[in-house]
Amino acid sequence: MKAIGKFFFKLVRTIVVIYAVLFAVFYWDLDGKFLYYIWEPLMVKRFDNMKRDDTLKTPYTMKDNVE
Amino acid sequence: MKISFKDVKAKYRELFVVEKSPEEKNKPFDAKKAVKDFWYGKPHEERRLGDLYVGNTGLYKHREWRGVKDTMYYFNMIWLYNYAHMVTDIMKYGDGPKGVVEFAKGTMRYRWMGQTYLTVMHWFDRGLEGVRGDALKASAWHYRGMVSETIRQFMRMFEADKKLHGGEENELWKKTIAHNETLSGNIFYGWRDQLDDVALEMIPYFVSVHVNNHTVLNYIDAAQSIGLPADPCPMCQAEYGLFVQDDYPDYSPVMLTSNEACDGSVATSVLQDWFLNRPLYAMPQPMRYDDPLVQEHCQKEIEGAWKFIEEQFGIKMDWDQYVKHAQSFNKLTEFEWEKWDVAANTPYYPITGVAQALYRIYYSQDGDRPIWHEMDAHVKAIMDRTVKNKINCFPKTRHRAIAWSCAPLYYSHWCTWAYNCWGINTIINMDSLMFDQYLRTDTYEHALEDLSWFNEKAPMRAMAVGGHEHILSLFDYMERFHCDMVIMYDQLQCKGMQGIHGVFEDEFRKRNIHAIWIPHALPDKRTVSRAEIRDIINDYMTTVMREEPLDPTLLDFDDSMSW
Amino acid sequence: MKDLVHIFELEDLLQEANNKLVRQGKEDGKRALGYTCYFMPEVLLDLPGCFSVRLRAPRSGSPDMATYYMSNRTCMYGRCLLERALEGGFNFLDAQMATETCTVTCRFQEHLQLMDIIKNPDFFCEFTDVPFKKNENSIDHYEQQLKHHVLDKLSEHFGIDTSDEALLKAIEEHNEICRLITEIGSYRKLDEPTITGWEFSVIQLATLVCPKYLIIDMLGDIAEQLKTRKPDAKKTYRCKVVLAGSEEDDPDFIKLIEECGALVVADRHCYGSLPGREEIVVKDGETPLRAIARHYLDTSECPRFMEQHTMRKRKQYLADIAKEYKADGIIISQMKFCEYWSYERTIDTLILPRDYGYPVCSIEKEYVNNAVGQLRTRFQAFVESIELKNIQKEA
Repeated sequence: MKAIGKFFFKLVRTIVVIYAVLFAVFYWDLDGKFLYYIWEPLMVKRFDNMKRDDTLKTPYTMKDNVE
Repeated sequence: MKISFKDVKAKYRELFVVEKSPEEKNKPFDAKKAVKDFWYGKPHEERRLGDLYVGNTGLYKHREWRGVKDTMYYFNMIWLYNYAHMVTDIMKYGDGPKGVVEFAKGTMRYRWMGQTYLTVMHWFDRGLEGVRGDALKASAWHYRGMVSETIRQFMRMFEADKKLHGGEENELWKKTIAHNETLSGNIFYGWRDQLDDVALEMIPYFVSVHVNNHTVLNYIDAAQSIGLPADPCPMCQAEYGLFVQDDYPDYSPVMLTSNEACDGSVATSVLQDWFLNRPLYAMPQPMRYDDPLVQEHCQKEIEGAWKFIEEQFGIKMDWDQYVKHAQSFNKLTEFEWEKWDVAANTPYYPITGVAQALYRIYYSQDGDRPIWHEMDAHVKAIMDRTVKNKINCFPKTRHRAIAWSCAPLYYSHWCTWAYNCWGINTIINMDSLMFDQYLRTDTYEHALEDLSWFNEKAPMRAMAVGGHEHILSLFDYMERFHCDMVIMYDQLQCKGMQGIHGVFEDEFRKRNIHAIWIPHALPDKRTVSRAEIRDIINDYMTTVMREEPLDPTLLDFDDSMSW
Repeated sequence: MKDLVHIFELEDLLQEANNKLVRQGKEDGKRALGYTCYFMPEVLLDLPGCFSVRLRAPRSGSPDMATYYMSNRTCMYGRCLLERALEGGFNFLDAQMATETCTVTCRFQEHLQLMDIIKNPDFFCEFTDVPFKKNENSIDHYEQQLKHHVLDKLSEHFGIDTSDEALLKAIEEHNEICRLITEIGSYRKLDEPTITGWEFSVIQLATLVCPKYLIIDMLGDIAEQLKTRKPDAKKTYRCKVVLAGSEEDDPDFIKLIEECGALVVADRHCYGSLPGREEIVVKDGETPLRAIARHYLDTSECPRFMEQHTMRKRKQYLADIAKEYKADGIIISQMKFCEYWSYERTIDTLILPRDYGYPVCSIEKEYVNNAVGQLRTRFQAFVESIELKNIQKEA
């Protein structure tokens, strides 16, 4: 019984801590700051340097009439 | 590089500390008021929302404290709820946990995904700034619906995408219809049980600009890099810029396109056709759509599109499916009319101008999907309550505005700012009023007739083509929605709207209407910045209306680099 | 070469919309019917009792009033037409037979409906819906539109005879003009053409803006003279080009190109003759109106058409013209703010050199062409690049 109580207490405490951390992330806009200052610059770098097919080489042949 | 404690402190202050105004600093501490503000949130005039921004980024030093109830609602039911549901949606639409892998692949492959959509909670923040109570709840449900449907669409794209699967044409690729975003989803109801239809540019371009306008600039520049002049509609430019940059998912064996809404849209097809290089069906709508003689022609084009799909996919159109979805969509239309009625005739309408506009254009273009019904049920419960209890959801309304023509996509949330700063409440907008058509399903002929009318009244074109009387219907709607102010969008690269500019000027003067012209270039913030748009409104409100701002911190701030 | 007969007289007729022959047509009791687009079949407006005038705004300056109404971010052709209308330059019109085929000309014509601009008590402006495809559904639709919005209105307002017999007669007269223009234009196909691009454009434009029955004799004289006209002993040009693109009704622009050494041998642009001067053929069992509807959709090469095979064939058509007229290159000219041609010019500029081997000079210009110096530089450079290529080929 005591063990269950202890586990329950631990669970509640963990949930409260996670909840509080998430609230801090929310309130101080840490998600936004992470995405703005870290994630987006990384992505910009990645996509700017990505090798892409030259779409101007796409053939331009005649097609059948689709009525 | 050496970082000193001073630098860290300065950075901390920049990112987290809200500087108090000199008046506030000098005020003696009032514990009772502090408790009241904590519990209920500050009164509108004392919020100083402009102080919350971090430099020009649009980020918040801290998110707004809206009082205990609304802050906790925002945290639990908007922020947490949506982040959690994004994960579950990815798995739900991505066929289980493997959906997460597809999502990761798409995120790493496409700029419009990797750079854009993860910032989605800031889209909520911008649109819901300063909003409280039922308005906060109802508007947030609109955003939730759009996010979920966006995930559904990009997950379908990623799952079917040849580019993400080593060039392999998988089963889903063979069962997905790609179509231009201006072609309504209702055309494809007859196959909804066997195929899926996904608009090609809706997610990579249109929705992405609202969420994070940084990405689209790449596509506009790419479009011009192959010789297109800068003046055509930047929406069309971005739509094919995706192809120039090879940033479109290849998820369908075919493409259906249309002439909606303008010359630019027609002309874009020629480049998209080249880059897609697969069977393409054009389903143009007549321009003079009021003419009873054009209807049969339009109906035959729709039938042509159906025949094309049948031939390409080898699957017959299922009339019962069409009926089922059309009837279901009618329920969304009925609720939309109910919303318009409340918005037009009461102060109890619980939806912000931006949520109203985006949700309406999104679901009506997309067609019948379960998520819209789910969201409408939430919103209906809230709206019924506000009407029953006579709750004025926007109590600081000084002006009831109608927004006309097409909106700046990079600043669709200007109406939230305008309400917070000036009490300008945007009741309705032009794009909300399109697709205003009930779909009969009692006979095939009636169904086709209404479907053609529906598509003729598509976004932008419903008012912008087919005769000047359509665009000048602004004045009738103004009366119907009891508006005393017009926010006239001035899309600098829209030839149709530029072509009738002077007539509006004349009419506003003649009718003695307060109209504020907002110049913009649809997705491209470089042409007219958000700050310039605010300056124009500020100038009008101070010099012509001679009013004082509700929140002076919102008059002038820099958000040039924000999403 | 010796001056072409009537050429200066025809050039004079292009100096104003309400020219001498238009006034004469009106004095003859005929109705003047304005239009802007190829999709309004001129043959219908040339029925007995009326005549067509494809609207131009020659000698335009700065369209200030029209810019107030349509802003400075719209095609200047549309604005200059509105300016001319506001100045009273189109008061001779009895009707404007309008089409919503491109946005700005549509808005111009809507202004004629909305504001009391044309000071003519009989004036009306009627719109016709024009399809975006060439299929049977489109021909049916177009035919019906032409009947209700053109023929019935002409009959209702002005008592014009719109019977099949009248239409057949109009087709016959129209075809006569087409035959003459085609004959005159065919001299551009010679190795050493005996007509310049400027001369041809003056002639072609005159047929669009004057009552045809008043200029047909002049065309006959020109055709006759061309049979024996000899080219200059020494070539006055350095290469031959096709001019393609959007609205172009300024012979001085053609002259500018030719002054740079490029002879314009084919005109594939709005107001040009390719297409535009093909004879209308009435097939067995077909009504004349049906033949007209089919003809105008079939022949048009407008970038407004959206069917996949039609979009792709347009490039082939342009390459075929260049081959037929023995051109060395193609100039694609786009009116600034014309959205259709913004895109079409972009793809033409990429596809024609790549797939057909034709060098392309891609330019953007205004209706009132003030950028003569810049364009001259572009054209001179283009001519030089063609010459260089020819030298390389020979080597």
